[in-house]
Amino acid sequence: MRKLHFLFFLILLIFPLFIFSQVNPPLITFSDCIKKKADKFPKEVNFNKAQFFYLKKNWDSTLVYSMKQLSSSNNTELADYCHYFRGYSFRELKLLKEARSELNLVSKKFIFYNLVNYKFGAISLELKEFDKAISYFNKIEKLPIVKNGDYKLSNIYENLGTSYLHLEKYDIAEDYLFKSTSLKIKENDTLSIISSYLNLANLFYVQYKDKQAIPYFEKAYSLSKKVNDFNKKREASLNMAVVEENRGNLKKALIYRKELEQWKDSLHNQNKIWAVADFEKKFAVAQKQKQIKVLKVENKLKNTQRNGLFFSAIGLLLILTAGVYLYGQKVKNAKIILLQKNKLDELNATKDQLFSIVSHDLRSSVNALKTSNSKLSATLETKNYNELNQLIIQNSTIANGAYSLLDNLLHWAMLQTKQLYFHKESIHLYSIVQQIEYNYKPLLLDKTLTFENSVSKNIFIFADLDSLKIVLRNLLDNAIKFSNENGKISFYTRETISDFCELVIEDNGIGMNENTIKELLADSPLLAKKNNSEIIGTGLGLQLCKQMIRKNGGTLAIESELNKGTKMILTFHKTTNNG
Amino acid sequence: MDNINVLIIEDTPEQSEALAKVLLENNYNTVGIATNFKDALKLFYENTIDIIIIDVFLDGKPDGITFAESINIIPNSSKPFVFLTSSQDRQIFERAKLTKPFSFLMKPFNELEILYAIEMAVEKFYAQINVFMSEEQDTVVSNDYLFIKKKNSLKKVAINDILYIEVEERYCNIITEKEKFVIQISLTKISNLLDKNKFVKTHRNTIVNTDKIEEIILADNLIILKGDHKINLSDTYKDFLKKMNILS
Repeated sequence: MRKLHFLFFLILLIFPLFIFSQVNPPLITFSDCIKKKADKFPKEVNFNKAQFFYLKKNWDSTLVYSMKQLSSSNNTELADYCHYFRGYSFRELKLLKEARSELNLVSKKFIFYNLVNYKFGAISLELKEFDKAISYFNKIEKLPIVKNGDYKLSNIYENLGTSYLHLEKYDIAEDYLFKSTSLKIKENDTLSIISSYLNLANLFYVQYKDKQAIPYFEKAYSLSKKVNDFNKKREASLNMAVVEENRGNLKKALIYRKELEQWKDSLHNQNKIWAVADFEKKFAVAQKQKQIKVLKVENKLKNTQRNGLFFSAIGLLLILTAGVYLYGQKVKNAKIILLQKNKLDELNATKDQLFSIVSHDLRSSVNALKTSNSKLSATLETKNYNELNQLIIQNSTIANGAYSLLDNLLHWAMLQTKQLYFHKESIHLYSIVQQIEYNYKPLLLDKTLTFENSVSKNIFIFADLDSLKIVLRNLLDNAIKFSNENGKISFYTRETISDFCELVIEDNGIGMNENTIKELLADSPLLAKKNNSEIIGTGLGLQLCKQMIRKNGGTLAIESELNKGTKMILTFHKTTNNG
Repeated sequence: MDNINVLIIEDTPEQSEALAKVLLENNYNTVGIATNFKDALKLFYENTIDIIIIDVFLDGKPDGITFAESINIIPNSSKPFVFLTSSQDRQIFERAKLTKPFSFLMKPFNELEILYAIEMAVEKFYAQINVFMSEEQDTVVSNDYLFIKKKNSLKKVAINDILYIEVEERYCNIITEKEKFVIQISLTKISNLLDKNKFVKTHRNTIVNTDKIEEIILADNLIILKGDHKINLSDTYKDFLKKMNILS
């Protein structure tokens, strides 16, 4: 058994990588032939690729492209090549059964059918079907061999020899092995020679022809020293060791064993070095891969960071814009509010001022009434009727003043809140002046003023009656107030061309200066300040007049001279058709 | 010439008394003083009323306006009226305004103002404005009466009492059975305002109440009216005779 084991081992070594022969074979090698075929069919891309990978010994790719070629193209000429490629590739990949079935698909007319047979033989040998192997090899044994071709005759002989050896047909085996050895010696291939010697040695050794066997073992051993192949050295040494052991020469056997160990170690070392190199390579690749990974991750991180930065920048910009806009709005609003506030403050101040003046006036009026009343009761006790009458007149004057003040105040408030009823109609101005004057008769009498109403009786104006009355009342009141004793107040109209009518209220009282006129006519809500204690009032009356006149569509002008008198000139719309 | 009959609707006695006093002084005849809506309606329908003075608020409710609204609904029963109010409240005015023709007087008021307001109310009611105050005219003509301004007050003359009207320039002599007086109105105006079927022109300056004709003597061109008034009939105006149903 030990020897058979060796033999099997040797056989595997015998299979060359490129080996060929022929039925009536073309005197050309297979590789040259397929190159030519590829040139001939440049359009068969898959075939071209298959042959390319075949020559490159890339068996997987060869399988793929040959299959593609077979399924896509009907070119029968190339089909045999493809099947051969596939069979060859399968065998190289140790898929022996597939290889054999693929080779069976090759047609018998294939010009390289000798190669197919050779392959069949080799496969059978590997499958230990020695009889079949012998029959395949015999088919091609006699065929001519191309030099430097795809296989050598020595290989066939050696394979045949090996087969017979396994079939224990030692004579025939010996014959073939000798042929093979002698051919190999001619070829001067040391490695093959060593194999052959070892085969021969084994052949004899199996037959217990030690004397014939040992010289071959020794030859093989000595040759193995000249080569660098550790496997061969090891085999030779091992065989020598076994031989010496069997001869009982343990010392020598031990030496061979040691040598064997050495070769084994060397082999091991070499393997180790390769493994280390391989490992290092792998490690380096892994390292590189790691680096790449790290870089990738870094890149990714950078990308996310960049994106993050970009988006946050945009977000910030947006926030900034919105902020600026809102701030602008706020500032604008604040400005408006400030303006409004100032206006409101002003108005409020006016109102407060009005309040204080009015309440002051009222207070003094009521106070005067109070003191007058106590005087009245005192006078009543003394039954001084003359004085009593005087006091009553005085009281009513005070009451009238307070009343007109309050009336103005009421109208002012109504005007401000827009509650005042306003209805324009045709008004007989003369009658209205008469009516107003009627109420002031006691006052006029008191100051001994002359009153004259020279308003044309034919004038009808178009205005709101009540507001007109308020205006006239106030103006007459003022005229009386600012008149000296024995003065004269007159109301008269001046006809103008247009639809307007001018009403003049003239007095010859104290008058006023330009500034006061300006102040009075100024269109401000502020009231004239009380700078002349007794006579000058709140200014409320005139403000009210101005607003009422404006509301009626009229105008107010003042002509005045100090100490000579004042003219208040009003204009109103006339009623257009008289009747 | 008769005095004007006034109905006062006012819930405050002092004010109504003062008002009545003023009216009396100016020759107005106060028919009655109502203090609430119900009394007012009763007085209004029981008496001959020429003018009503209404306080807007009766017992704090705007019943015055309600009264004006109710007499306005019945056709031909309405009379001129004046609202009295102490408030210038816009809402009240908006409502009162709907009772056309609308005139009002703010309290407190003086004698002249109330007289003016009454005259205005009459003018507005009969749609003949700017009459009493103008210098050309002093009479408002209604269907039943002539309202004539005499000094400060108004007087009325029943149209049915008029025999004939004689025009002298801008004046008209009104001749009734009892009296004779002068008003200021143009002939065209008064003839336009009077019922044309009743009052006919018989002469360039004469308008005759046909109801008062007793006899027409065509031969003498004479018309004899009640009370033995003789009127000339001019040829140009004889046409009216054709329209008349002459018995004889």
